[in-house]
Amino acid sequence: MKSLRIVADLVQTGPPEELDPQIASNRRRQATAALVVALIVLLIVAGLTTPSFLTFENLLVVIRNASVTGIVALGMSYVTISGNLFALSAEELSILSACIFGWLMRANFGLSLSLVVTLLLSGGGGAVQGGIIALGADPIITTLAFGGFFRGLASVVSQNQNILLGSDAAEWLGTGRPLGVPTQSWAFIILTLVAWFVLQRTRFGRLLLLSGANRVAGTASGLRIGQAALLGLTLLGFCCGITGIFAAAQFGQAVANLFQGLNFDVIAAILVGGIALRGGQGSPIQAALGAVFISVLQNFMLLHDFTSGWRTTVVGILVVVATCGFHLLQRRRA
Amino acid sequence: MPSRDIVLRMSGISKRYGSLSALLDVDFALARGEVMALLGENGAGKSTLVKILAGLERADAGAVEIEGQPIRLRSPSHSLQAGVAYVTQELSIVGPLSVAENICLGGRDQQVVWTRARLADEVKPFLTLVGLESIDPSVPAGSLSVAQQQLVEIARLLSRNAQILILDEPTAALSDVEIEKVKAVVRKLASEGRSIIYVTHRLGEVFEIADRVTIFRNGRSFEPVEVKSLDIDELIQHLLGRRLEQMFPGRSETLGPIVLSLREVMAPGLSRPVSLELREGEILGLAGQLGSGANGVVRAIAGVVPSDSGSIELRGRPFRPGSIRDAIKEGIAYCSDDRKRDGIFGVRNLFENFTSTALWRISIGGLLSRPREIKIATELADFFEVDAARLGRHAAKLSGGNQQKVALGKWLGIEPSILLVEEPTRGVDVGARAEIYRHLRKLANQGLAIVFVSSDNQEVLGLADTVATFFRGRLVRVASADSLEAEELLRDVTHPGAEDVRFIQ
Repeated sequence: MKSLRIVADLVQTGPPEELDPQIASNRRRQATAALVVALIVLLIVAGLTTPSFLTFENLLVVIRNASVTGIVALGMSYVTISGNLFALSAEELSILSACIFGWLMRANFGLSLSLVVTLLLSGGGGAVQGGIIALGADPIITTLAFGGFFRGLASVVSQNQNILLGSDAAEWLGTGRPLGVPTQSWAFIILTLVAWFVLQRTRFGRLLLLSGANRVAGTASGLRIGQAALLGLTLLGFCCGITGIFAAAQFGQAVANLFQGLNFDVIAAILVGGIALRGGQGSPIQAALGAVFISVLQNFMLLHDFTSGWRTTVVGILVVVATCGFHLLQRRRA
Repeated sequence: MPSRDIVLRMSGISKRYGSLSALLDVDFALARGEVMALLGENGAGKSTLVKILAGLERADAGAVEIEGQPIRLRSPSHSLQAGVAYVTQELSIVGPLSVAENICLGGRDQQVVWTRARLADEVKPFLTLVGLESIDPSVPAGSLSVAQQQLVEIARLLSRNAQILILDEPTAALSDVEIEKVKAVVRKLASEGRSIIYVTHRLGEVFEIADRVTIFRNGRSFEPVEVKSLDIDELIQHLLGRRLEQMFPGRSETLGPIVLSLREVMAPGLSRPVSLELREGEILGLAGQLGSGANGVVRAIAGVVPSDSGSIELRGRPFRPGSIRDAIKEGIAYCSDDRKRDGIFGVRNLFENFTSTALWRISIGGLLSRPREIKIATELADFFEVDAARLGRHAAKLSGGNQQKVALGKWLGIEPSILLVEEPTRGVDVGARAEIYRHLRKLANQGLAIVFVSSDNQEVLGLADTVATFFRGRLVRVASADSLEAEELLRDVTHPGAEDVRFIQ
């Protein structure tokens, strides 16, 4: 896993001393712009070649799918930007949250109480990991271990069966469309704006950026570096909780095999979005764009009858291309 | 020096980075067996020239001839093949491997199997060349001192038959004693017919070691000058393009009450307890070479490492910081000697760097206030003479001098009463150096008490009001800077006699 970090560093950012950071920052902006252009091109191509793509129904599916990955990717971007790479337990914590929410609903705790308790527990699940990382543990190893723990716990809570929610209010939460847009997508859009605002405009956001930019300098400047890891993972925990609740509510049931491949999708969103793995740079908006792009691509392939194997392969290639492309972009000098 | 034969000739070299001209039509020639010093402020072009020669950068225009043969240097390995070796401050020594293995690393060895003994035999002549004949080639290179590692690196390059050695600030991280060793090796190698390009910030070294000096300014080089015909004022004048009347500001006129006193303090790095006093408005210079223990004193005050025993009093109250945050709360600011590592946030801009120590001052109820941030950062930039147009740039992009100003300036945000600085001008060019001295003095005149640690004796004598000298973990002497002779200071920090060791209780 140490080697993973080294490889990730190399792939993403190249040798730091060769890099003019100002140019790198401009390049990063260029990369974001390139992603937006690619997204528009993809939308046009898909719209022209695929009759069923630009239908209202299909676009709702795309947006809703993007929301699942996207909401978690927002939380993940905080972890990455604070210099703690990735949490490999996002998928598992989302599953656990869904199961806890289902269990609470089935036990008739009522919607509001179930929501509050699930969010507190998911936030707590993130906080525990963050606390351990704040004490100096490796984020990859820690979250990998917690992932196993959460997955097991989800099986225990659900007893490996479908937990039926049986609640109209919960069903609305999962399938409602205020102003024609799914609730998940509203949440995604609002959380993206909130996440951007918090990072750019609050003290906590500044702490996160500075901690990620240079952990040692942060400590030497009296910043509470540990807080950055703690709060970053706590927020990711909340995001996992929100995603879990939405999924359980949408299907009217919770089960321990939800969200397959979510960890990879979220990491892919971060990488395609062009957020630097070194930390200290980037924005949740990049993660959101990455998630939307991947979701559109997935949907496009689905409509063209790509098998699941091919879809995974193509997204894998996209991540490789995005990472290498960004690397090359950085190395090229003006 | 027309009589000597020329091993290297670079002519009409130009290099641009974007809109910036790093080198403009520069000519450079190196004779066999000479030590040529390259001098210039940061960004003057000397590093660029050296990197082109080392194959790390390619010139946009110009020609290079080595031993009369035109050559286009493509890569570092190509340069090395052509006989040009580049020794940077970042050594490529592999710590866990033995000295012999390090020297053979990357070399062309035809044999598949080699034994320790054979390796040792093979590297012995090169170790002798660099004056390390007493070192056992089988010990891990990581166990050697930095200076010795540097010499091992030189030996490695010599084993590739390097005829032209580029030493880029070889002494920046070394203590005076070690510097002597490296300098002796440089002189020896030159006398054996190798040519050496010596890049340095330390003017004193130029006189001791170089035959000629080439000065760079704004991407242009001047005709090389014989060192024998130069004096130091002239050199500084050449460097800056104007005469630098006074490098150092005056001393403090009046000292305030005692703000900090150390009684019998023991800290990591010290072998004897230290007692010191610091007054408001005073600049106290702790002089010492690497391993003198002076850093330990400062770090104990800063809360980086807790003191082992003894007591510290801050404004008359006992003070024992358990962490950097404790010290910061008491208005104690600390700048380490490695600002890239822990002094600046390289990938963030100067607004964010300047305000990083006092986020509470730029925020209202958790929300950042952009106007406050701009105001504070602009004031600090103004005070430290950092171009306000650069505030939006990343800190890593700045020169060493400007980075140091940022590393110092960010501390004013906590309104400190004591400022602790290690090596205030390491890696800072002459011009910015004088500015930093002036700013520190200005702060002291406003009542700030400053303690700095330095291995640069000239700096200690020039900047400090009071000097405390350290040698191998013990305090040798405390004296006012005016009463201390440069020779006494040098003896204190290098090899004080037993009779000189006085403890101020």
